[in-house]
Amino acid sequence: MNEFLEQFAIESRELVAQATEGLLRLERAPQDGECLDAVFRAFHTLKGGAGIVKFAAMERAVHAAEDLLSEARTGRREITTALVEGCLASLDQVGQWLDTLAGTGELPEGGNDRAEELIGRLAAIDGHDRKPARSPDVAHRWLVRFRGRHSNCTRAITALRYAPGSDCFYQGEDPVARIGTLPQLLAQELAPVNPWPSLSELDPYTCNLVLMALSASSVDSVRAHMQGHSGECEILELAPTSDSAAAHAGLSPRVREVLHSQLALLMVVSPEQFRGRVSSAGVAAANALRSLRRDDDAQTVRQATDTSLDSKTTAPLSRVLERLLAAEAQVAAGAGVSHAPQTSSPTLRVDAERIDALVRLTGELITAKHALLHTTARAHAEGLALATELKGVSAVFERLIGELQQSILALRVLPLRTVLQRFPRVLRDLSSTLGKAVTLDVDGDHTEADKVIVEMLFEPLLHTLRNAIDHGVEEPSVRIERGKPVVASIQIRAAREGERVVIEVEDDGAGVDIERVRRVAVDRHIATEEELSTMADVQIIDLIFSPGFSTAATVTEMSGRGVGLDAVRTAIERVGGSVSIASRAGYGTCVKFSLPFSVMMTQVMTVEAAGQSFGIPVEALVEILRVPQSEIARVGSAQVLVHRERTIPLVDLASELHGTRERQTESPEAIVALAAVSGEVIALRVDRLGERMEIILKPLEGLLKGMPGITGTTLLGDGRVLLVLDLKEMLA
Amino acid sequence: MTVRTAERELIVLEGECPSEDAEMLLQRLLAAPEAVVDLQRCESLHAAVIQVLLAAEPALRLPPADTAVGNWLRAVLLRVITD
Repeated sequence: MNEFLEQFAIESRELVAQATEGLLRLERAPQDGECLDAVFRAFHTLKGGAGIVKFAAMERAVHAAEDLLSEARTGRREITTALVEGCLASLDQVGQWLDTLAGTGELPEGGNDRAEELIGRLAAIDGHDRKPARSPDVAHRWLVRFRGRHSNCTRAITALRYAPGSDCFYQGEDPVARIGTLPQLLAQELAPVNPWPSLSELDPYTCNLVLMALSASSVDSVRAHMQGHSGECEILELAPTSDSAAAHAGLSPRVREVLHSQLALLMVVSPEQFRGRVSSAGVAAANALRSLRRDDDAQTVRQATDTSLDSKTTAPLSRVLERLLAAEAQVAAGAGVSHAPQTSSPTLRVDAERIDALVRLTGELITAKHALLHTTARAHAEGLALATELKGVSAVFERLIGELQQSILALRVLPLRTVLQRFPRVLRDLSSTLGKAVTLDVDGDHTEADKVIVEMLFEPLLHTLRNAIDHGVEEPSVRIERGKPVVASIQIRAAREGERVVIEVEDDGAGVDIERVRRVAVDRHIATEEELSTMADVQIIDLIFSPGFSTAATVTEMSGRGVGLDAVRTAIERVGGSVSIASRAGYGTCVKFSLPFSVMMTQVMTVEAAGQSFGIPVEALVEILRVPQSEIARVGSAQVLVHRERTIPLVDLASELHGTRERQTESPEAIVALAAVSGEVIALRVDRLGERMEIILKPLEGLLKGMPGITGTTLLGDGRVLLVLDLKEMLA
Repeated sequence: MTVRTAERELIVLEGECPSEDAEMLLQRLLAAPEAVVDLQRCESLHAAVIQVLLAAEPALRLPPADTAVGNWLRAVLLRVITD
């Protein structure tokens, strides 16, 4: 695929995801104008992209949906389920085309029939739900009152109502400062969300504010300013008056030049010149603004001039001038990107492979570091003059590599949103397939974790969700009988807890049927009646994660292949996580995943001894040798290898494992791995060399806990457990 | 520190008042509910501090209305709608 198409595919996928998310939100909140705008923009940009790469079928399919959304924006059409479905169908089609593109590297051919089909479907939604344009003033009563109190702000073209989340202060948000720095702010007001409590009950760090503002800046630049806000934010375009239209035309180049030169003059002012220069700069700037009928701004400049004169500093006036020029720059920028997707943040899109390459390189560097430390230790032992200096350099090198590794691992961090945002759509399909109405709430999707973790989560979570709807949520009639809301609710909550990320999936269904679990466990020979009788309920419920418990024959429509819950547990444990389940009969089930925040990938070399595989951390490996038996000598009860005139302690892994000193079979040659640990070298005799692989090291637990000489384990692809050697302990 | 009690019934907020000042201001106001809050040398207030002032409604001393800060403080502190 050429780079152009590749970029198109990446961007289109993002836009499809954005539009899908927006449409689902819109279906629940059809009055959310901001959301409608975002969806419309996503479709518009998709269409534009398709036009650029000359993908006519996609352009037409998306265009048809965009038309409907455009009508909805102007109030000529209502947001209905049919409309949302139609638009989702066109996004599905785009998704399929993108899949084809990814597979073949070519634009799909013969998409026209599909496009026609979609256009026909979208046209069928046409007509019956047209409605007269809605008046924003009726929907937004606050705006009528707010504008009424600020009727003098004739230049206002944008109104904003911002209700920050109650925990916004903890996220470093200062809503008042944010509103105070709005471009071309004309008026602002604060009001409490709930009446203020008595002082003794007041929690100053729970935000209880609603902020309203009028601005002479465009909706787009106000929205850009509000990007990343928490809570609810309504941004409305006001009907322009002739005055504000003139103001919106912005500063003329001439006026901008005047402001700039006044600002420059204010930079260098000697005490004698102060009064004269500040007043003339103020007058010049105010006059220039007045020439554009921007009387409010001229007034602000005049006030700032007085403040400057009183306080004997140029700061107040220059700050106002800077703000005017900066706001103008924002208007200009806002106009330029008005159709860009809302996520245009200053980030760099980097191919994940490049980051992985960096991670690998860092691994190599760490290996080199160990060699350096080893050399340093040798130089020290041999009393070389440079040893001390070398030691200093090594220490710096070691610290820098540590930092490098940390920063690179941080690059691989992704918000859980990247996986969680797919679920509302999945749930919508699942609940319609299974005929159960379910709402999904996702909380904490900004929680971050390593890319490996985030990416592996989709299948386990999908499976859990499907289980919840399929087995947990009761039939609608049963729910009514039990006095529950007909629409079931599923919550996904994610949070960071220290070094771990915890994700809970909770439903309000019937809970796990313990009797059924008992029956199935006995039927499928997972546990005997006798064993079950000694188990607590929690343990019995946990049996559903046992291999062979799930009817793996059920092929899920969503994942395309049957997986039992045991596969969920295996997948989670492979990355060092755990999964548990809690259930209350009649009230619901909560599945809790606990995962490491980051995964330390360790490079190991696998070796075999006495038929068992071991891993040796590559960073410790110095050399692999084939040595004649004669170079291995016995010193008392121990063995040593004489290599390059050095004597190195040798550990025979097979003998260690069997607890004997004699080898079963003697071969003329021995395979020996030399490893260095804190400057000391150890020789490990092995039977066979395996391969080099990257693994996620898990600390020892359960029966293996406390096993000497082993630092951790990992699951191999074939399900075997690889024991990774703790060389430090072997040397001790 | 930007919050200080100048005399028994006067609390002075000076310079840029960060969110941490909210708790301290609240404590002072609880201790002296009739105190006057002097903002004449204040340059900015974090929203958390503003909340305390809005909830407590103490008597305020503000910078002149024709200064940028004075103007701003009046907008955020005085024009509170209760609907």
